[in-house]
Amino acid sequence: MIGARSGALTGLRRLVANALARDLRGFVVPGMDVAWANGLDLAGTGLHLATTPRHASVLVIIGPLPAGLADAASVAHAQMPRPRAILALEAGDLAPLPAADATGALTQAGLVAALADLRRTIANGAFGSGAREYSAPALETRIEYTCPMHPEVVSDQPGNCPKCGMTLVPRETAAPLSHAGHAMPDMSDGVTAETPPDPVAATHQHGAHHPSGDTKTMVEDTHAGHGHDHAKQTDASAQYTCPMHPEVTSDQPGSCRKCGMFLVPVEDKDAHAGHGHTQTDHSALGSHSDHSAHGGHSGHGAHGGAEVAGIEAHFMSMVDLTRDMPASADGLKMEWIDVPFGPFFPGLPGGLELELTLDGDAVAAAKAESGVSAVNLLREAATSPEAFIDQLAALSPLSPVAYRELACRALEQAAGQNPASDTASARAAAVERERIASHLNWLAGFGTQSGLHWLERRAAGLQLELRHADARGIAALTPRTTALLRRLHRTPLLHDKLNGNGKHADGDALSGPVARAAGSTSDARSDNPVYGALGFGVLTGTGGDARARLTQRTGEIAQSLGLIARAGQIAMPEVQNIGSVSGKGEAIVETPRGAAQLRLTLTGGKVTQAEISTPTAALVALIGAMARGRELGDAMTAIGSLDISPWELTA
Amino acid sequence: MTVLVVLLALAAGAYLIAILESWAVHGRLEPARPAISALALLGRESVLARTPDRLFFEAGPILLLVAGLLAAAVIPLAPGLIVTDLATGALFLNAALAYVLVALIMAGWGPNGAYGMIGGWRFLGQFIAYAMLIVMPITAVAMRAESLSTVTIVQSQAALWNIAYQPLGFVLFVVAAMGLAWLPPLDLPTAPGDLAGGVEAEYTGVRLAVLRLARMVLILALAGATVTFYLGGWLGPWLPAPVWSALKILIVAGLMVSAGRLVPRVREARYLELSWKLGIPLALANIFIVGVIALVVPI
Repeated sequence: MIGARSGALTGLRRLVANALARDLRGFVVPGMDVAWANGLDLAGTGLHLATTPRHASVLVIIGPLPAGLADAASVAHAQMPRPRAILALEAGDLAPLPAADATGALTQAGLVAALADLRRTIANGAFGSGAREYSAPALETRIEYTCPMHPEVVSDQPGNCPKCGMTLVPRETAAPLSHAGHAMPDMSDGVTAETPPDPVAATHQHGAHHPSGDTKTMVEDTHAGHGHDHAKQTDASAQYTCPMHPEVTSDQPGSCRKCGMFLVPVEDKDAHAGHGHTQTDHSALGSHSDHSAHGGHSGHGAHGGAEVAGIEAHFMSMVDLTRDMPASADGLKMEWIDVPFGPFFPGLPGGLELELTLDGDAVAAAKAESGVSAVNLLREAATSPEAFIDQLAALSPLSPVAYRELACRALEQAAGQNPASDTASARAAAVERERIASHLNWLAGFGTQSGLHWLERRAAGLQLELRHADARGIAALTPRTTALLRRLHRTPLLHDKLNGNGKHADGDALSGPVARAAGSTSDARSDNPVYGALGFGVLTGTGGDARARLTQRTGEIAQSLGLIARAGQIAMPEVQNIGSVSGKGEAIVETPRGAAQLRLTLTGGKVTQAEISTPTAALVALIGAMARGRELGDAMTAIGSLDISPWELTA
Repeated sequence: MTVLVVLLALAAGAYLIAILESWAVHGRLEPARPAISALALLGRESVLARTPDRLFFEAGPILLLVAGLLAAAVIPLAPGLIVTDLATGALFLNAALAYVLVALIMAGWGPNGAYGMIGGWRFLGQFIAYAMLIVMPITAVAMRAESLSTVTIVQSQAALWNIAYQPLGFVLFVVAAMGLAWLPPLDLPTAPGDLAGGVEAEYTGVRLAVLRLARMVLILALAGATVTFYLGGWLGPWLPAPVWSALKILIVAGLMVSAGRLVPRVREARYLELSWKLGIPLALANIFIVGVIALVVPI
């Protein structure tokens, strides 16, 4: 095992290895929502789930690892304590992660077999000579030298500053990507105070990073560190001021004419706002800062240590300390920190990369990106209809059926076909079944987020059974589903937690349950005669807050159960042989998260052009306003209540 | 000897509560699970965060354990079965519990990570919310017993347990105890859903094992305090005194650990609001009512 601890497997260690094999703690990539949508029951296999990679022993990778998450997954792996293992279910190429210790098919049987395999491997190899060092390339750093007074002076070698002759001080910076392979050697150069003797442990020194890996920040800050941004850096060093008398400024270092203290450099406000800067203390070293990205933080070892290399000895004045800091809404100047949440955060959809700027425990700003949105609708210039349908269905692992239906409907329109009405209603029933499963999946995630374990277990279990059930099976599951929803609505303190949280201003682009929960009647199903025949009427809510969204989704579950019962049968969407027709097609389907629209062009029976719009971008756009000014927990609840699928974020 | 018995009782209690907690989270009753998990934790590497405040990082879990043990030292399990029967036992309990806050802030600050730090500060922000509701109900209990000695407090309930005498105080004390032991739905310092483990997030291996054990001890100490103050301690018919103590403590601890999981995590602001605006006035009312009853009715 590559992730083993070093040492021989003897005596007591054998016992411990057996315990380790039985007590597997999984950290799921990209997330539990994807695992559930793939029909996997992880909890049912006895695998306990960890909320952070620090508490995990197995990195469970579900399905193909998207390129955008590979770095974050490698960071999560590097954070796990040894002995650690990787279990990959049809994950494809894992680089930069090491090879998987167990692999299997993306099915429950495949998972169970791979876990059994993994347990044997760990029982026999938790301790051993197979241990090898692993460091995530995204975390690699190198040491460079810079002048404390002239930040633009950067050198690979120790020495003196060419401008003022001061001794250059070492600092740690992100390794440039081209040198990623050999960037580590200087680590033990006395710069990091805590270099452990054990080389295996050394790979873990990357401290407090979190699941996210936040490489984005690193890249940004690398520029500052390298002094690439010359204009800004020069500006920053051009001004000196007295720590006690901010009105005293000078473009030369020297003494204050009022009190004789040494002048200190003024730092560029923009460059540092929200990041905290060198003379500040603990909170600037929030989890992401430990990525070593913030130039000049090297050797920040002890919070209390005043004499730290790389930092000018300062007089600690409050005026000085808080001068460049952003002020909160209440006027209090406080250090803001950027904290990454995701892409594997337990309370958020897998793949969603959220970065919150925290002002204490309130959110000052939020931005979200998707690590899984690389969408290329047409891999080849001319795609066959069957391949196109499969590609579009693979767009979102959370709702493949809706996208399959979307592709089929657009193709049929382009080809001038019309499916028989019972086929059409059976296909609609398949979309509705997926809607129920998707909403239950969201409920399970809400259970995880809010600490309602019973809800997580029951909603996840129910959606696993429902996902592939036929119409009769769903009728049999209906009583259990309604019982679950009834119990949910009777949960004490639930409405109290959600009321008024996550309200949004009316967005025109918005669709789906989030829009309907705010009273909108937009629903792509209402114009569809197939749904008209099933007696569909738009369900709307009031309030537009997190509680309304919960109520909306549970209402839609009940509604979809009724639609399936009336349709009577379920059939997966597929198109008849299209032949070599040409034409343009357009379709709109109400996915579990809102309306998705597809335009395509058929030329000689091949799809030559396709354009899609999905509900995700409008939902992501709500995050900033919804989170701003809220307490962290409330902001997370609000963002969670949007049920964002980062997979559908199209470029 | 007494110390040994109490320590063994704590270990056994912690094991049983761990089984119960695992059941509440995973939905399965697995009697061997805590032993396996503990062994596995000891087998895992104890990772040191990259730029930790080493002193705080190491001392946090240990201080928490010490605070829990000190609190347990004044809980009488039977007449004579108490580590130290201080004349100011109830006050001492309070003093010991005050270190929980310190330990948690240290554990949150130490690893130098945002999640832990916010978790620690959250707990600090809740200080008044739970601390007042611990100390004010104890005041009412001490008023009836006319003593701060935990043994005398138990004896004062011979005729009528305090849960019947001052039910309001009982409810407030249990809720505050759950907040103090950051049990769901008041598990804001660790909040798996929005802080990914919070103060626990950066601890692994042996250090995490100490942190978890310390929390178990704290839960038992708080359950023991609840039993001592409100449920008549070792008092009860037919069964021997230590059995009554053990039964009551386990039931209270079990309820504290599992009942809160039926409701969603309470919002930080809501918790503070309820505690300050409702809890503290109710606790004052409790003191007043108990004072009046103690003057009027001699029970």
